[in-house]
Amino acid sequence: MFRPRHYVRVAATLAAISLVAASCGGDDADLTLYSGRSIELIQPIIDEFEDASGLSVEVKYGNSADLALLIDEEGEAGEIAADVFLSQSPGSMGFLEERGRLGPLPESTLALVADNVRDDSGRWIGFSGRQRVLVYNTDAVDPADLPSSVFDMTGPEWKGRVGVAPGNGSFQDFVTAMRATEGDATTLEWLKALDANDPVLYANNSAIVAAVGRGEVDTGLVNHYYNYRALVENPNQPSANHVFATDDPGAVLIITGAAILAGADDAGPAAQLIDFLLGSSGQQYFATETFEYPLAIGESPANNVPPIDFSSDVSNAGGIAFEDLAGGLEATRALIAESGLES
Amino acid sequence: MVDFALDVAEPTPTGGRSNRRVAARGGHPSWATPSRLLGLLIGAGFAGPAGFVVWRTIRLGGDLANVAKEVPGPLWRTVQLSVLVSMSAAIIGTALAWLVTRTDLRGRRFWRIALVLPLVLPSFVGAAAFIAGLAPMGIIHDALSAVGITPPRRFRGLGAAWLVLTAFTYPYVYLPVAARLIALRSSLEESARLLGLSSTATFFKVTLPQLRPAVFGGGLLVFLYTLSEFGAVQLLGFDTLTRVIFATRQSNRALSFASATVVLILALAVVALERSQRGSGQPDDRSTAVVRRSRLGWRQAPALAGCSLVLLAGLIIPITSLATWAQRGIAEGRVSLNDLVYPAISTATVAVIAAVLAVAVVMPVALATTRRPHRSSDIAAVSVIVGFAIPGLVIALALAVLTLNTPVLKGLYQTSALLIIAYVIHFGSQALASTESAARAVPHALRESSRLLEPSPIRRFFHIDFPLMRPGLVAGGGLVMLSTLKELPATLLLSPIGFSTLTTEIWSSYEEGFYAASGLASLVLVAVSAALTWFLVLRRSEVVRG
Repeated sequence: MFRPRHYVRVAATLAAISLVAASCGGDDADLTLYSGRSIELIQPIIDEFEDASGLSVEVKYGNSADLALLIDEEGEAGEIAADVFLSQSPGSMGFLEERGRLGPLPESTLALVADNVRDDSGRWIGFSGRQRVLVYNTDAVDPADLPSSVFDMTGPEWKGRVGVAPGNGSFQDFVTAMRATEGDATTLEWLKALDANDPVLYANNSAIVAAVGRGEVDTGLVNHYYNYRALVENPNQPSANHVFATDDPGAVLIITGAAILAGADDAGPAAQLIDFLLGSSGQQYFATETFEYPLAIGESPANNVPPIDFSSDVSNAGGIAFEDLAGGLEATRALIAESGLES
Repeated sequence: MVDFALDVAEPTPTGGRSNRRVAARGGHPSWATPSRLLGLLIGAGFAGPAGFVVWRTIRLGGDLANVAKEVPGPLWRTVQLSVLVSMSAAIIGTALAWLVTRTDLRGRRFWRIALVLPLVLPSFVGAAAFIAGLAPMGIIHDALSAVGITPPRRFRGLGAAWLVLTAFTYPYVYLPVAARLIALRSSLEESARLLGLSSTATFFKVTLPQLRPAVFGGGLLVFLYTLSEFGAVQLLGFDTLTRVIFATRQSNRALSFASATVVLILALAVVALERSQRGSGQPDDRSTAVVRRSRLGWRQAPALAGCSLVLLAGLIIPITSLATWAQRGIAEGRVSLNDLVYPAISTATVAVIAAVLAVAVVMPVALATTRRPHRSSDIAAVSVIVGFAIPGLVIALALAVLTLNTPVLKGLYQTSALLIIAYVIHFGSQALASTESAARAVPHALRESSRLLEPSPIRRFFHIDFPLMRPGLVAGGGLVMLSTLKELPATLLLSPIGFSTLTTEIWSSYEEGFYAASGLASLVLVAVSAALTWFLVLRRSEVVRG
């Protein structure tokens, strides 16, 4: 009834169409960036960099963890396509460092930030920070009742009233930070107490902030800037951030990092881009447009964001060595699973 | 009555099929005929990602005790959800298909088209829209309050996932069953009615058995969809195996791949079960279908209410929620349609190419399974189907690893061509089921007689088979197109740099809480999908006629 030859012809025609479609993609640019941070939150500053430097940058957007897996496969095959990786999650940066996929950053770049927001071995650097906070519904909660430590959120008065995203990268990074300062035993005890307190589980930070805004749950453990974002979308939303005490693990700062990949073709322009992100216009973009903490020495956050003091070696955000956030993600995940929080 | 007499004079369907099967095996015992080798080659292409999963699982080793501890809970939840969703989708899809094709339901032309549309929404968007609809000032919340019901404060877990996935997947059953009902002549049913069976009894005793392959085929697609679904179950907080695959993909790759292998084994078992149980939809030996419609009478109102309810859940509630998001942003000038023109065009282009290619690639397999069944064609078909059960992220990684490590294929890495290959592998199964029923729609007697008149098989194919198969092929291609339009994880990883689709736009806005942009892009996706479905699929298939 059929002859392969005919299908070969059909297939050849379609392959030709596909190749035409393929040629629409990727021209060779001076610099290739894999960004775990979404287009809305980074592209404007990349455009500015292109104008300022005269270099062309092509960007592949995706989830930080997925892009890290892809970079790892490229590295394994010796075919690194990206020059720079921007990661929303320290966990993905840690994964790539462990797999030997990150190259060294120039000393001049590393000197732009305080020691505590970059990798000890100089392979990644933080360019913006998000603080862990408690978002709460202002109709349902009196701010005077909010505790100064995340450890108090497991009390009976908060039963069934705390939104958590245990599968989300930033919650896992926060737990990793808690392990670093409080130890595994205390962390596990807290996770178990949280699980026993009937928390409401969500997929991610935005989902928690939205749920708090509509009164589905009274409070939630999130990164600070989602509420600022939500208030831009809907100024009438009755939600606000509560910051735990400065030495509390509940107030840790999670950083967005940049790295040059081992074997990158364009390491020079790559460093230029990272320097630009850490320069004044880059840092003020993150401060005012994404409501994040700028990390370069001498830069301050937007007016409505409470400042953090980075002047001391031990940061104001809980005295946590940031490189601890990167490693040991699997141990964190196992601990969360053991507490019963995931199912 | 004459029809009926003709029917009984023919060999029974099962007898006919097994006779042909025996004849085929007896005639060509070898695996090495060109068509069988081609089928196996196609099957091997589709099986590639599955092979990658197994190879990685073995290479990464992994701790069996860890797997035994982490997998059973999510596995049980996956089975529960997949069984529930595929059963409810099968019932709803079949009932709706019967209503719009075999009854005097009012406005059935409208329903025939509208009831396909819930398929166009990515399920994570649907889930998000449901969640938003339940919020104070959301459409569901306000509607429930208006009739004095206290809206649930939380929308999550098995019940929520079951509802949302059923609302967006029943068209996988509805479309093939409606196509089958249109192709089936109603003379058997009329005879049954004349012999005194009630219309309900006729449906269950006469119509339903003939629909079995279509219902099973569609139900299988829903099952596999649910198996590999990630976005909605994650938002709705139902911890399935896909969530384990995603949660551990970086921190514990051995567990992640072991979980993917478990999904694969489950899918293989279900595909094998379905293929053994579906029965053979024998070719229709009379080509003109004369359809008599049942009168609904007093059941007109409940039938209309049922259709409305399904459409409300699958289309109206989500679209209203999305419109609310979008409208806020448009009013403040924060979002505009201009940014969506390029993604809309690129989305439509790759989807149409993927759809045509998928139908062309599975055609030899479909012709073989329906006309020359052989173990080789079964293997090829199962490989094609299993591609749907592997999460898109895993297919993307598999193709990335293959192209990066094969010198001659290196040029394909991060091109649209590779992306389209990924779509074809992931969604080929949707084209296969429809192409198989299309092949069965060509009467055996017609093919026999055409052989006497036209010696060239190629011309016979284009003049006899193709016109008769076209509605089924278009329906199959349409399913692939709609699935491609809303695919996310493989698109993100494999697309050429700078390439974006509407779904990637929706995702990146949604992740960061830019709801207005996300809502607008979703509405554009619905509009583009609906337009393509209308012009390329429905107008060309017979689903809208009558």
